[in-house]
Amino acid sequence: MLDSLKSRFAVILLAWLLVGIPLGWGIFNTLLNSMKLFH
Amino acid sequence: MSLLDRERSIAHAGYSRWLVPPAALAIHFCIGQVYSFSVFKLPLTHVLGVDGSLPGDWKQTQIAWIFSLAIVMLGVSAAIFGRWLEAAGPRKAMFVAAVCFGLGFYVSYLGIIQHQLWLIYFGYGVIGGMGLGLGYISPVSTLIKWFPDRPGLATGLAIMGFGGGAMIGSPLAIKLMSHFRTPSDVGVAKTFLVMGTLYFLLMMFGVFTIRVPREGWKPDNWTPPSKPRTMITTHNVDVDTAFGTKQFWFLWIVLCTNVTAGIGILEQASPMIQELFKGKIGPVAAGGFVGLLSLFNMAGRFSWSTASDFIGRKNTYYIFFVLGAILYFILPRTGADHLDSVVLFVTISVILLSTYGGGFATIPAYLRDLFGTHHVSAIHGRLLTAWSVAGVLGPVLVNYLREYELEHGVDSAGAYQTVLHVMAGILVVGFMANLLVRPVPKKYWLPEGSGDAQTSFGQPLAERSK
Repeated sequence: MLDSLKSRFAVILLAWLLVGIPLGWGIFNTLLNSMKLFH
Repeated sequence: MSLLDRERSIAHAGYSRWLVPPAALAIHFCIGQVYSFSVFKLPLTHVLGVDGSLPGDWKQTQIAWIFSLAIVMLGVSAAIFGRWLEAAGPRKAMFVAAVCFGLGFYVSYLGIIQHQLWLIYFGYGVIGGMGLGLGYISPVSTLIKWFPDRPGLATGLAIMGFGGGAMIGSPLAIKLMSHFRTPSDVGVAKTFLVMGTLYFLLMMFGVFTIRVPREGWKPDNWTPPSKPRTMITTHNVDVDTAFGTKQFWFLWIVLCTNVTAGIGILEQASPMIQELFKGKIGPVAAGGFVGLLSLFNMAGRFSWSTASDFIGRKNTYYIFFVLGAILYFILPRTGADHLDSVVLFVTISVILLSTYGGGFATIPAYLRDLFGTHHVSAIHGRLLTAWSVAGVLGPVLVNYLREYELEHGVDSAGAYQTVLHVMAGILVVGFMANLLVRPVPKKYWLPEGSGDAQTSFGQPLAERSK
């Protein structure tokens, strides 16, 4: 039961990481670009 | 093909509904790349000359048509294929969207290496544009069925991805073009090939992760509200019937006015901040401002649609229109001639952009409240024609009004005042349309059992009779 819960959590985490990492990279790049407004 | 059928994508007992948003996000991240198409504008005018344009190179005006064509095809295909999508299921529709979007890049690659512009129009514009339309609407009804308790949150998560797509697409394209650039090649063709492949693969993750809920499914520890709410139906309306209702057209005006006003600021963001704050803000800082706007456009999609689950869809749009009209009225007064506050200008602009994004993300849940879940993707698809109209109306209004003012001796900062006041007026029209939205009368409802009766609570009772 615990194993199945753990594997389910791992799958969900993996799926979110797959879309979260590119999004994080995109936000980071955009934030870097936005900083130019305050310089 | 059977692997893609709706029956093969019904969730098994242990499937978590929290796998559906990343599946939908994977699609929307990819197709959201269209918003960053402008990064290809300059390289595509240097395909022959590499370091500059040669006489045979394409002009910027010719390149601009690729994006316009893709956006028009988005609206057209979403409207046309929405009904098919409802029958075929989200997995098949997302698969076709992935094939079209990836193929669009490949055909465009051929267009670049053969230097045939029509191939890019046909590839990225027509085929890719069809992928955009199908991809945009395909996860909507599935998300709403999985999250009957929080439909705004669910659709906001997916549609946020479309806003975020440009943030990934733009730096990715720049890095790839710089990687593939040689003294004899501008690098754009190979970039198209790599991006087409990467996007296709990420979309495939969405295709094979998405599941539809099995019959009678509802979230654990959740019971449908016993007292039905006036603005949330427990019935369904067929897409063709919905198209003929006043409610559909009021919502069409709601979306169209909200998008038109938002595009008004997006279109002119960089020159506007530079002209309102001459000497203070240069092109580099203006570029930073545009980046900030895209961040809030994305954040607004998620936060406003999530908030709409608590305050209601109609109230959310009331906020957009009232707040928007006031802020558009104040915005020109923040310039150097009046308050001279860059901070106030930026703050107002990012709030306005958040409501622009919020308008896109909240509309599917509004449609679900009025028409039920049975054909919500197809109805959403037809409503997106409002976006296509606004995409033309917004920039045309802004540019022509501004030019008219300048021709009549108004200075550049003053010309923005008129434009932004007209945008405030447009939002008043949207407010009136939202005010007129009422529940859909009983005569339009599908008979019990012929659709997903009680679907607003995510409990499909029967498959639609074929």
